[in-house]
Amino acid sequence: MGRILLLFWLTISVIASALGQRVSGQVVSAVEPDGLPGVNIVVKGTNTGVITDLQGRFTIDIPLNGVLIFSFIGYRTQEVVYTGQASINVRLEEEPRELSEVVVTGYSSVLKKDITGSITSVDPDRYRELSINGVDQALQGQAAGVQVTQSSGTPGGGISVRIRGSTSIGASNRPLFIIDGIPVETGSLSGRSFGGQSDNALALFNPADYEAPQILKDASAKALYGSRASNGVIILTSKKGKRGSTRMEAEVQRGVIDPVKKVDLLNSRELLELQREAVRNAGENPDALGLIAGVTDAVNTDWLDEVFRRGIMEQYQISASGGDDNTTFYMNASYRGEEGVQLNNKFERMSFSSNLERKVNQKFTLGSNITLSRSLNKRVKGDNFLDGVYSGAIKSLPYYTPYDENGTLVWPGSPLYPGFPNFNPVAQAVLPRFDVFTTKVLASLNGTYQLLPELRLRAQTSIDYNDVTEDQYESSKTAIGGVLTSVGGRGYGIFNATTLTNFISNATLFYNKNISDRHHINVLAGTEVLQNFERSGSVQGRLFPSDDFTYIASAGIVDAGSSFRSRGGLFSVFSEVRYDFMEKILVTASMRADGSSNFGPGKKFGYFPAVSAAWRLSDEEFLSFGTISDLKLRASFGYSGNERIPAFGFLGTWSATTYNGNSGTAPGNIGNPNIRWETTQELNVGVDLGLWEDRVQATLDAYINNTSGLLLGRPYAATTGFASIQDNVGKLQNKGIELMVETVNIDRVIKWTTSINLSRNLNKVVALTDTVPLFRGYQAEGTNATNIVKVGEPLGTFIGLKFLGVNPATGDAIYDDSNNDGQINNDDAVVIGNAQPKLFGGVTNRVAYGRFDLSAFFQFSLGNKILNFANATLLNAGQDIENNQVKAALRRWRKPGDITDVPRYELGAKNNFNNLHSSRLVEDGSYLRLKNVNVGYQLSPKLADRLKLQSVRVFLSATNLWTLTRYSGADPEVSTLDGSTTAQGIDFFTLPQVRTVSVGLNASLK
Amino acid sequence: MKTRITCCIFVLVLWACDETINPKPVDLLVDDLALNEPGDVANVEIGLYSAFRGMVYNTIIAGDLTADMMLHNGTFSQYREIGIKQITSANASAAELWAGIYYTAYIANFILERLPDLPGVPTAQRQRVLGTAHFLRGYAYFIGTYTFGGIPRVTSTDFETNRNIARSDRQEILNLIVEDYGAAINTLPAQAANAGFATTLAVRAALAKLYLYTGNWAQAETFASEVINSNEFTLEPDFSDVVLTDFTSEAIFEVGYTIADDPGTLNTLFEGRREIIPSNETIIALASTESGDRFSSIAFNVLNLKGNDNGWTIRKYGTAVDDNNNIVIFRLPEMYLIRAEARAQQGRATGANSARDDVNVLRSRANAPLVGVVSQAQMLTVIENERRMELAFEGHRWYDLVRTNRATAVMTAFSPNWKDTYLLWPVPQRELQNNPALANDQNPGY
Repeated sequence: MGRILLLFWLTISVIASALGQRVSGQVVSAVEPDGLPGVNIVVKGTNTGVITDLQGRFTIDIPLNGVLIFSFIGYRTQEVVYTGQASINVRLEEEPRELSEVVVTGYSSVLKKDITGSITSVDPDRYRELSINGVDQALQGQAAGVQVTQSSGTPGGGISVRIRGSTSIGASNRPLFIIDGIPVETGSLSGRSFGGQSDNALALFNPADYEAPQILKDASAKALYGSRASNGVIILTSKKGKRGSTRMEAEVQRGVIDPVKKVDLLNSRELLELQREAVRNAGENPDALGLIAGVTDAVNTDWLDEVFRRGIMEQYQISASGGDDNTTFYMNASYRGEEGVQLNNKFERMSFSSNLERKVNQKFTLGSNITLSRSLNKRVKGDNFLDGVYSGAIKSLPYYTPYDENGTLVWPGSPLYPGFPNFNPVAQAVLPRFDVFTTKVLASLNGTYQLLPELRLRAQTSIDYNDVTEDQYESSKTAIGGVLTSVGGRGYGIFNATTLTNFISNATLFYNKNISDRHHINVLAGTEVLQNFERSGSVQGRLFPSDDFTYIASAGIVDAGSSFRSRGGLFSVFSEVRYDFMEKILVTASMRADGSSNFGPGKKFGYFPAVSAAWRLSDEEFLSFGTISDLKLRASFGYSGNERIPAFGFLGTWSATTYNGNSGTAPGNIGNPNIRWETTQELNVGVDLGLWEDRVQATLDAYINNTSGLLLGRPYAATTGFASIQDNVGKLQNKGIELMVETVNIDRVIKWTTSINLSRNLNKVVALTDTVPLFRGYQAEGTNATNIVKVGEPLGTFIGLKFLGVNPATGDAIYDDSNNDGQINNDDAVVIGNAQPKLFGGVTNRVAYGRFDLSAFFQFSLGNKILNFANATLLNAGQDIENNQVKAALRRWRKPGDITDVPRYELGAKNNFNNLHSSRLVEDGSYLRLKNVNVGYQLSPKLADRLKLQSVRVFLSATNLWTLTRYSGADPEVSTLDGSTTAQGIDFFTLPQVRTVSVGLNASLK
Repeated sequence: MKTRITCCIFVLVLWACDETINPKPVDLLVDDLALNEPGDVANVEIGLYSAFRGMVYNTIIAGDLTADMMLHNGTFSQYREIGIKQITSANASAAELWAGIYYTAYIANFILERLPDLPGVPTAQRQRVLGTAHFLRGYAYFIGTYTFGGIPRVTSTDFETNRNIARSDRQEILNLIVEDYGAAINTLPAQAANAGFATTLAVRAALAKLYLYTGNWAQAETFASEVINSNEFTLEPDFSDVVLTDFTSEAIFEVGYTIADDPGTLNTLFEGRREIIPSNETIIALASTESGDRFSSIAFNVLNLKGNDNGWTIRKYGTAVDDNNNIVIFRLPEMYLIRAEARAQQGRATGANSARDDVNVLRSRANAPLVGVVSQAQMLTVIENERRMELAFEGHRWYDLVRTNRATAVMTAFSPNWKDTYLLWPVPQRELQNNPALANDQNPGY
């Protein structure tokens, strides 16, 4: 019996010691001094774990000398040894995220501190609560060397992203966007022009689905993308689930949208006075032309008010993530709706994404990422369209009205608004249907197999599928459907369908080896196949029975249709070797060989090598003193390419044509079998510096990028039968300097941080063939075109006559006779400005106090010029009397002796001298803009608990609140030729940016 | 297992390589396949007509907007410059016409170089297509030399030669045209499916016009008579049918559009945008008694009357819905007018087989008063006005005024900006820049 008792006693004690003793405690942090809920606590080496409660308290069983691991997202993980204390109280420190961050560099990833190239990462917290459509918009002003311009305030509209300037004249300048290893479609998907503003493929992705975007800027960082990397690479990785309990989040955001500013236009009385003066100056009788004071100006319509509205923005999303030891998942569903400030303009997106990762066994892991997204873009015409909405509203004479006395819309032909050259913009907004439905599927399956302890194989196969359906109808009461005689006046419908599909498969081997803990070697070698397919079809119908019938099934004539398909591809092999010596000296060498279908036999393959090295000085004995926490010098050199040119330029081709009811073939272009990639040679040097335990972090980079072999349509004498031939003729240079500084100014109860980025890029055309300048942009009188590409000048250079002022005696414009030949003509046109800024950047200040946080983000651009091309119409010196004028027209010359900068108004096509294209239209486009203000409040855990929620955050976010600029148009941050490189910065009736004020709520469910 | 997986993946990838980077072009033919089998001949022939058609609409701009027929009423600077007589060497219409001439010549040269050696082509078809190439190239050069003066004489498809090629003088160009017409006159068929395709009578009409322009009155009369006497063509009883329909019974040759392939260029300019409207002088002429039914070439709408807009519209090319969008190259009345002028110049203003007979054929069709007894000088003036009314908006007026040395007098009265520089269009600036042999060879005054 005693034995039995003893045995029992022993057993109990063994069990007890295995279970350990019960201990409790509390976890706190700087932000949550009363207790940090939700902290994961695990006994090291076991499965035993608990989570802290609302007060941050926990109780856990632990053996003596056991180790407790405290972990929580955003905090440094802590280990505490249990030595029999009565309670364990822990204060978790916020993670200094910078250096320990893993940076995904495309095919592989690397610790941020080991980077040898120039890579910038943008913290998603900076844009998470902004009202943005796509992740490209999120990058605006956030990274040095990255210039992001939203071309207008059109929702879901075009956004131009330039990394380290423009590297091409003829081919694309958009960076390569890689999402989960898949190069995705960027730019416009729609095939239809809307006068300037295009749509944006990247708006189909929900920015919340992705971790921090990584921007690869120098040759070394981009080298593995070879022939597509000249314009920089932006890498996005979708969020993955993490081990632990399932985390569910819901977010609601709603707001209002208004244009930032309206152009100041004349009212009826002012305009009539001006027009009568212009007519009298031309020696005619204004009354005879129907310009009668007191009659004509009896109506005074503010057309901008008529077409503008306050838009509503709304966004809802719900996500869940979690996982266990073998499987993790993330899933998200979201809806975003953004009404444009123009009537009838709206962008809507629904997106679903899910990521799964499954560890099949110790060696084999499978993963899958799927995004499904669908948008509906209800577009309206704008910019350089006679029948645009915003453009029409600006130009419309205030004498006219949108509605008649019965409240019905006025349509062309009515004396209330006759139409041509402008059309009732309200009708142009409300009546047509321009619906663009876009469906996107981005899906991939990947597997990783550990072949040997040092050798890993990863393979992925993926698809980027985009389906665009454009459903358009312009009724018989619109300009196109009703007035255009060639259409027939009884409605006009178009139906377009385009499918763009990219298949990408790759396989990569990774090898890493550490020799004696001092030498670390990483090798990567892989191959990739990319194929793209495009199919499109369209049909056009006219002469509908009435406006109740709006689909082409009801059209009287179906007289234009087409279908097409094309394909292309890229085959590549690539390799990278990274070596470091005690993490102090780091060297990377890489190489990619690309074969592209865009080039002819013998010219298909291009090779893109790069090397880089870094020296972590702060790890050296002689520099290891307190102030400097990190100091690294970097240098890189290498080549990247641009293959994005139209297909089959190497072939002389004939395409189909018709004549007199017969089909035949006619030559399309001259082939050039020698065309090759555009190649950019890039040199980058940089310094990373951290001071006072990284309270100040700075990154400085300088670069010189020389692009050669620019693919241009080289102008050919037309006597050859052709206007141009594709050829590698030009050279461009971009050199610049970039600085990013992040500081923690105060880190007490209040935490105040500042981040600044500054960029200066000098772009210059170094060579064109034959030194013949290329004219770009719009046609204008007094010059060959509004823009020129010219050796020695940057891209985006404006030309025109040099306006010297207004002759006080005659009121006529004075232009510089630059060639002194005694007459003013196109030959006198000179460079009159440039759209490229001298300096641009952003400054973000963030202040956190307890549960409150506030951030304010300023963006600026300095020294860029804007061509206010709208003023060729809106300040036209009386060239016609069919368009309203801006308030500046009140300053016009009226009598001898007047000193002014606005010439005399005289009606008549015979004298447009005062309105020749000149520097009069070029303005300083510098601006400082409070781009975003964000205020947030985290509810206390107790309150959240009362709401049966894990955590709740409410926030208020506002964009484009305040702008400082001298630009006289509505907005300096516009560009009518959306995406153009050679003719950027033109304001040609471009819709200004919008101001969005929204409130939101984010809740984590229990 | 591992090795097998690895191998499989790499083999699959390599297999995909060739297919990936060597796709076949879709809906395109490479140069060497464009005309390498008999079936291609018809296609290339259509391509040539299509190119020629693309060139022709600018001859309407040159012939009528450069002269006093039309006014500019829109916003495009290329038309404004011509309309207000401030034409610059950068003018886009000049560049388009120039390019159209040489694009037509390129296809013609391509055919003339390759078709003779292409086996298996039926003789009749070979003859017809070679003749078409000669004829359309000749007419393109005819327009070229009377628009721009001496121009480069391009007779091959060799890019290197043609990129650096100097002007030939007008006589050399005329010689080429005579050769081309000579080659075409015996190879083109006597009749075609419709007037959209060239016939031997179209070549005769072209020769009549050529000899009229070069002052060879006897030959002009001969060829005009051959066309008139062929009895292939008859005047439409109602003139408005000439304005409003295609392929009339009097059409000798016109470029054909169907509703489906009309780019809408002229009807957009004249009716859609009303970028270009008839001048007041033209309206007065067409509204005159002598014009008769030819008034139907224009129409008035009071809603258009404002500012500089006189409210009148050119109806000639209608709207795309009207389907009268063809552009006439030659129709029977021009042959009467050529013969009338040739006869008047040869001292037969009135009398038997005289200019008056020819003019009165057109007057009576238009229900206008007949011409009575007039002097030779008066008859030439009558013919000048008759051409303006009968051939309105078919691109004749400027060429007529220049060749009869009347341009300076008429145009100075029309526009204060007129200079004799505008007796020729400028060689397009881009040609001076891109063709070294033309670099310093602009027409005088530009």
